Amino acid sequence: MADPLQTILKIGASGLEAQSVRMRVLAENIANANSAGATPGADPYTRKIVTFESEIDDVQSTAGVRVAGIETARSAYRLEHMPGHPAADEKGYVKLPNVDVMVEMADMREANRSYDANLQLIKQARDMINQAIDMLRSS
Amino acid sequence: MTQPYLFALASQHNRWLSMRQATIATNVANANTPGFKAQEVTPFDAVLDSTRIAMTASNPKHMSIGDIQQKDSDKIQGQDSWEVTHSGNSVNLEQELIKAGEVGREYRLNANVVKTFHRMLLASTKV
Repeated sequence: MADPLQTILKIGASGLEAQSVRMRVLAENIANANSAGATPGADPYTRKIVTFESEIDDVQSTAGVRVAGIETARSAYRLEHMPGHPAADEKGYVKLPNVDVMVEMADMREANRSYDANLQLIKQARDMINQAIDMLRSS
Repeated sequence: MTQPYLFALASQHNRWLSMRQATIATNVANANTPGFKAQEVTPFDAVLDSTRIAMTASNPKHMSIGDIQQKDSDKIQGQDSWEVTHSGNSVNLEQELIKAGEVGREYRLNANVVKTFHRMLLASTKV
């Protein structure tokens, strides 16, 4: 059986990885918040959502986390009346991405908080390992 | 005078604390996984009660009276969580971090007690 303290480092790293992927996808969403299509009636950029699942280690009965997939959101596109736009349909409406920057920001704060928590646990585990090693140090 | 049973106790407690910390790490890593239920290990006094001296099995016909090791990794699935989100996830980051701090503190206490006792033993050997 592996040392639980070493396992913490692995689990924490999986958490950091998952939250970074989430953050990357959020950045993509925000960057493309106004990316409309180029041809009349074309679909614009669609908001992406990261889903997580736990990754169970049978030996340890502990579980890290991994990204299960990056799905596209199913909410409706925004419609704006811009007759001169290259992507405008015959009535003059342009489909804009279903990205709400406020929602993305809120999500980003949550990802940040989870990232911090994972990092905190890694630090804590490292401290514990150091204390165990320090027991050997002659004082 | 009875020999203090301290070293065995301290190392057992530290192993239990490591296991608990790993469980907390699992909870934190899955803080945003839909449907994940927060986990908790069995309390240390319960682990201590269930640990007893096992007899050596020198013959395959000898029956074992239970595994004394790794009783500490048993999980209680549902801990009383502070909140359950809409997706069914019952991890609360504040609660987990408080527990992590508690574990770190107890671990340090154990390490220091062991260190002190060790120094005491050494003091008797070198005069």
